[in-house]
Amino acid sequence: MPSLSAFLKSLILLTVFAFIGGGLFIYSGFYSIGADTPHNSITYWALETLRERSIARVAKNIDVPADLDSSDRLLAGGADYNDMCVGCHLKPGKLESDFTIGLYPAPPNLSLPEDEYAHGHGPSDSNTHAIKRQFWIIKHGIKASGMPAWGPTHSDERIWNMVAFLQRLPTLSKDQYQILTARGDVEGTHEH
Amino acid sequence: MKTLLTHLSIVLIILSGHAYAHDPSEHNEKKENPKCEKMKSMDHSKMTSDDPVMQAMMKKCMKEMESMHHDENQSEAGPEEEPGEDKAEDEHADHQH
Repeated sequence: MPSLSAFLKSLILLTVFAFIGGGLFIYSGFYSIGADTPHNSITYWALETLRERSIARVAKNIDVPADLDSSDRLLAGGADYNDMCVGCHLKPGKLESDFTIGLYPAPPNLSLPEDEYAHGHGPSDSNTHAIKRQFWIIKHGIKASGMPAWGPTHSDERIWNMVAFLQRLPTLSKDQYQILTARGDVEGTHEH
Repeated sequence: MKTLLTHLSIVLIILSGHAYAHDPSEHNEKKENPKCEKMKSMDHSKMTSDDPVMQAMMKKCMKEMESMHHDENQSEAGPEEEPGEDKAEDEHADHQH
């Protein structure tokens, strides 16, 4: 039976070899960093779990505005979504773009219900958590994913407007989407 | 060295002014107009007046809807309303944007 000190020595040696091996692997350049080569399942799981655990921890204390379902928020958020997000997150009637094909991981199609775009984050998600999560992601972005942080250049109110629009986006038809997101004023077209 | 730092600070302060949020008005050059006429062909049985989507569309298209009602009323009134035609035309003329 090995002594406790021998066991600890072995553990330390193993840890040192793991660090050295990991460092050599990183410096070797053998891991494909191209967006057209998917991660292996372990790396994917690790990164996805890291992302979701991190967001769940920091988003839980966010206060959701009571008037999130107001028509004014839909109009303001819709126009911003169409200008800032539609290229990656699509709109009713559009199933792909150059960004959705080329980005890895592929950005979720937010015009579909959450269970259809296969970008879920656990069966226990409540709607409130999903709303907080969306706000946090829009505000802070996600490292190395193509999702920028809009917080430095946009107020919280503007971000909440986009979150409000996202709640209704999967239910919109193409025509409804066009009307809600157009920045132009009907007044401007109404020439006789 | 001190002068260099001072100059660098001035340049950075000037450049920081360009880091403001993009304003919605910046999109006005490429703005798209809402196609409010599409509201006619929508399935109204699935819409209720307290639905925020419906309310938002009504707000967006209010002027268009008013104009449509205005035109409908005019056509319904027909030739009998001819004496008021001048007035209607005046209103129409005022309604140019």
